[in-house]
Amino acid sequence: MSRLERATAFVSKPRIRNLWTLIVIVFFLAFVITPTLFVLTYAFTNWDLIQTEVIQDPEMMSQIWTAIANSFEIAAIVTLIDILVGLPMAWILVRKKFRGKELLDTLIDMPLAVPTAALGFSAAIFWGITPADLTNPLGLKIVSSPFLLIILLHIIFSYPYMVRSLSAILEQIDQTFETAGQTLGASKLTAVRTITLPLFRAGLVTGIILCFARSLSETGGTVAALATVANTDFNTAPTLIDSLKSTPALAFTSIVLIILALVLLVVVAIVVKKLHIPFRKVWPRPEKILSRGLAPRLKDATSVLFLVFIVLIPSFFVFTFVFTSSPSTTTDWSQFGQSLVNSFLIAGVVTVIDLAMGIPLALYIAKNRSKWLPETLDILVNVPLIVPTVALGFSLKLFWTGGTPVSGPFAIFLVMLAHIAFTYPLMVRNVTGAVEEIDPTYEETARTLGAKPIQGFKRVLFPMIKASILAGAIMAFTRSLGETGATRAVSTTVLTAPNYIVNLIKLENDYYAAALACIILIIISYALMLALRYITRRRKGVS
Amino acid sequence: MRNGEYLCLLGPTGAGKTTILRIISGLTIPDQGNVIFDGISMNKIEPEDRRAVMLSQSYALFPQLTVADNILFGPDIRQYDQKVKQRTLAEMLDLVRLTHRPDAYPSELSGGMMQRTALARALASGASVLLLDEPLRALDARLRISLRHELRSLAKSMGITTIHVTHDQDEALVMADRIAVIREGRVVQVGTPGDVFDNPASPFVANFVGQSNFFIGTVEEKSESTSVRGELGHVVMARPCDHKLGEKVVVGVKVGNTEVHKEGEGYFDGTVERILFEGRNIFLDVDVSDVGRFSAKIPSWRLGRLAVGDKVKIKWSADKAIVFSMPLGGLEKELRVE
Repeated sequence: MSRLERATAFVSKPRIRNLWTLIVIVFFLAFVITPTLFVLTYAFTNWDLIQTEVIQDPEMMSQIWTAIANSFEIAAIVTLIDILVGLPMAWILVRKKFRGKELLDTLIDMPLAVPTAALGFSAAIFWGITPADLTNPLGLKIVSSPFLLIILLHIIFSYPYMVRSLSAILEQIDQTFETAGQTLGASKLTAVRTITLPLFRAGLVTGIILCFARSLSETGGTVAALATVANTDFNTAPTLIDSLKSTPALAFTSIVLIILALVLLVVVAIVVKKLHIPFRKVWPRPEKILSRGLAPRLKDATSVLFLVFIVLIPSFFVFTFVFTSSPSTTTDWSQFGQSLVNSFLIAGVVTVIDLAMGIPLALYIAKNRSKWLPETLDILVNVPLIVPTVALGFSLKLFWTGGTPVSGPFAIFLVMLAHIAFTYPLMVRNVTGAVEEIDPTYEETARTLGAKPIQGFKRVLFPMIKASILAGAIMAFTRSLGETGATRAVSTTVLTAPNYIVNLIKLENDYYAAALACIILIIISYALMLALRYITRRRKGVS
Repeated sequence: MRNGEYLCLLGPTGAGKTTILRIISGLTIPDQGNVIFDGISMNKIEPEDRRAVMLSQSYALFPQLTVADNILFGPDIRQYDQKVKQRTLAEMLDLVRLTHRPDAYPSELSGGMMQRTALARALASGASVLLLDEPLRALDARLRISLRHELRSLAKSMGITTIHVTHDQDEALVMADRIAVIREGRVVQVGTPGDVFDNPASPFVANFVGQSNFFIGTVEEKSESTSVRGELGHVVMARPCDHKLGEKVVVGVKVGNTEVHKEGEGYFDGTVERILFEGRNIFLDVDVSDVGRFSAKIPSWRLGRLAVGDKVKIKWSADKAIVFSMPLGGLEKELRVE
């Protein structure tokens, strides 16, 4: 037997397979779940500290509650707007056929590849009233309220999630229901409103949770935007955590944020699932009028205009900046280079670990439904997606170091662990979903044909779920590359590209360098994303 | 099971047919009991080492592989020599008449071709046991019938031991060396198709393999044949039996052996309730007041001579009717299919 054969035979032994499953579950619990929620134990072990330093300090308390209230209000408004404008866009993407559809499809995902720190800066100089030294003749300078500015910013990067979730569901809804409704005499609007919309619930839950959690977690873009408009007293919960120094206050804010986020999202999930969209009543005449002619066109036009003016132009407005302002001479570009190297290193390592540890867990969950352990794991996997990353980062640091400041290679190592914690669920969910779609008889047949479990996976299952694995990897990679909150919660001095940009704006007011760094980061992210898309397409073509 | 035998596992939906195949192939671990191949217990052996290949209802052809690659999946895994692989492939393509489509993907094939590819893949894997889970189910009616013979002769020519699961009694009768009738996880009878059809072991088998009429009564007289008297005084004749005089029994007779006449002697007097034209035969429901309904399958040429509402007499020859013990849970429960 060759060495490879012997290795295949070895890992195929039932005992070794069980051991590997055990290792993966332990990894998940020890490196993902426990660090994410560890901060909750701080309330039990150090309650007296929280009591004396936070709760008895009315100024601190009001600061914390204001920030948390801001965060939740912003997240709620952003999610609501996303639903309203995301629905017509999902419709265009799924139901309409037109030239340039593929372009539109790509445009919608574009903000996802831009690190939020760059988005925050870009959106702020487009909308905001900026300090005098930051003059940009092309900026609109119309938004003076930081609250409104942050809403506009958060819409940019949560919008794609909503559109994607809704169109995924719309694709599965059989259009014959609607057609049947229309042949029975309903106008198009009536049919859509009474038949198709109520079927949207599942997609709506996913979309709401993704958008809400994203908005609640966002740190980098928010810090960058607030620093750009030179506003120092407005805080969301993540920016407050970013600026707080005392461990008890940080812990208290994180705990409140985590608990509120979990409770709220569970409630939302239940309410939306139970909610019956109650509009049974129909108005045949007005709905008929709205179904034809100008109204639907107006709706489509508004959707596209919203995408262009609210999402795309503010995202890329930073490109105009370098042409309209003069370069600074004091920037240390070697630092930027180093930060890029670090960012890609972190994202790469994180993605590899996600792949190695995420795929086995996904397989275990997908293939053992109906048992309590995999079911529990399946629910737990979602937790890091909902916990705001900045609270997650702080919790993780508390878990591994007890809260002492970290620096150097160890800080980078901790940042990797933090990034694994919130990207791991993306990988697991993608792969679990894909595996569940595949009929288990393929693998079973392969085994009766003589394939060992690992050969069955490699030759039969893997080719079928390759696209989903790759999608999970791209998501994990780009999320890690763009993450600011978790990174800064571990250490504000760790040199990653988004962190470098935030520090340029916040500490050094070197806007020109920041803009240039944003542009470089955007271009690199895109080149990478296009390359990955190209690879996936080509592979699809071959097989 | 005997080596090289073609066994049909026949039973209603939910009887545990597929579960048996999964246990034999090792995909399901039995709570108790033993699977024995050639005198060796297989309980600790992994599915890939049992050489018992499963062909599922959906065929499970790997969509990303061509017909040729699908067929060579087993030989590839077992790392056969390149020459051996090429020879096996050529043989298999020839055997299942797919020589012209080795590079097609499964999605480009018709149902019959997919079925044949799956079969070739199973045969090429070098397995000694072939497990077929309703292999003809996904095909349309005409193709299903024409593939029956082909499937059986392929398996026989390879000398492979085959277990074929089906709920279609005609399929089992035509294809099997032996039939095992299974119900609620238990094998109730094993025998040749003729045996299972003509000498069913229980009322359930009698009714599931070719429909039967039943009559409940007590044994009245035993000689060359048995006479059984019902509660209302009807007396019917049946084959000799081991039951005691006065014992409560069930008499079963196949609908095809039930005779319906307008004149002459009969066990029962009844009224024709319904006539179904089935092509070669007509299917007749006759209501006998207070006793129940009897069905008969008679040649079509008699169609014009019988009409709904006609008074008829029902009888059968004694050697076509079988005496069963009264089932424990009653006749109705015994005959229930699910």
